[in-house]
Amino acid sequence: MKKRVVLVLLALALVTLIAPYAFAEEGAGAASAATTMAVFGAAIGIGLAALGTGIGQGLGLSKACEGTARNPGASGKIMTILIIGLAMIESLCIYALLVSLGILISQKSFF
Amino acid sequence: MEEGGYLINIPGVPHFVAYSWLAMVILIVLSLMVRKSLKLVPKGVQNFVETMVEALYNLCEEVIGHHWARAHFPLIGTLGLYILLCNYMGLIPGFDSPTANINTTASCAVPVFFATHYYGIKVHGTKYINHFLGPIRKIYALPLMLIMFFVEVIGHLARPVTLSVRLFGNMMSKHILLSVLAVLAPIGIPVLVLGLGVLVGLVQAFVFVLLSVMYLAGAVEEAH
Repeated sequence: MKKRVVLVLLALALVTLIAPYAFAEEGAGAASAATTMAVFGAAIGIGLAALGTGIGQGLGLSKACEGTARNPGASGKIMTILIIGLAMIESLCIYALLVSLGILISQKSFF
Repeated sequence: MEEGGYLINIPGVPHFVAYSWLAMVILIVLSLMVRKSLKLVPKGVQNFVETMVEALYNLCEEVIGHHWARAHFPLIGTLGLYILLCNYMGLIPGFDSPTANINTTASCAVPVFFATHYYGIKVHGTKYINHFLGPIRKIYALPLMLIMFFVEVIGHLARPVTLSVRLFGNMMSKHILLSVLAVLAPIGIPVLVLGLGVLVGLVQAFVFVLLSVMYLAGAVEEAH
């Protein structure tokens, strides 16, 4: 039962991935193959960056909560360190966002 | 971004330059106002300004040390207050934040880069190269010293880039998020993004100042 569900989902995923090539040949608007790949790359890039950022900030946040729970008197200092750490990790995601935006703007696909 | 209706429109001057002039004028007028009527027991505007200046000076002194904090404090204080004001100007409709442009943020980050090296050479002289050579400085560790030198040079060159791109990216992404939400969900949700913008503006200015202070402290420290 589980294996069947996994197989069905895998087949759907493959269809979703391969289908745009079939559609691109029919002339989907003004999009060429390069624009398709560029838009795809931009979306995957920022998605992976957000994934890494979420995990990293979640780990930091969990340790900050644990530290505050152990020692509520130090919560001010811990919060300061936490905010600084979150800002630094966030900036890595912002770099990836800038690259994605650069790709999209170079393909004239963003406003 | 599209050319919206900005409040200050000087022909021939790009709008982020015009708003940075506005930020400069505000800061200078505020400081002259405080200086003209200095009281021993502060109240009103002087109290507010004194709180911010003292917080910045305590940060400087805590990280750099008592000897050099006084020399570095004008640069750090100016950068902190200027970047904070520029970040918050972008939240007011009709105004634009100068820090949402890579030129302004690079102009804030590059002097910090030059200042660290200037003060490092001024304090240490030619021994400043020891900062780049890593932990072991005997002649038998020459390959390690070479590798550490290249790694440290790349790290040092990355500092102004990351400082400017971090600030620019945060402000730019807030503007883009607001413009996308204005198309998708114009009722209510942009207010949340504006609230996030207040927090992000403060945090990014603080992170910029904190990192600059740490780089300066690393350049003038007397250890090893």
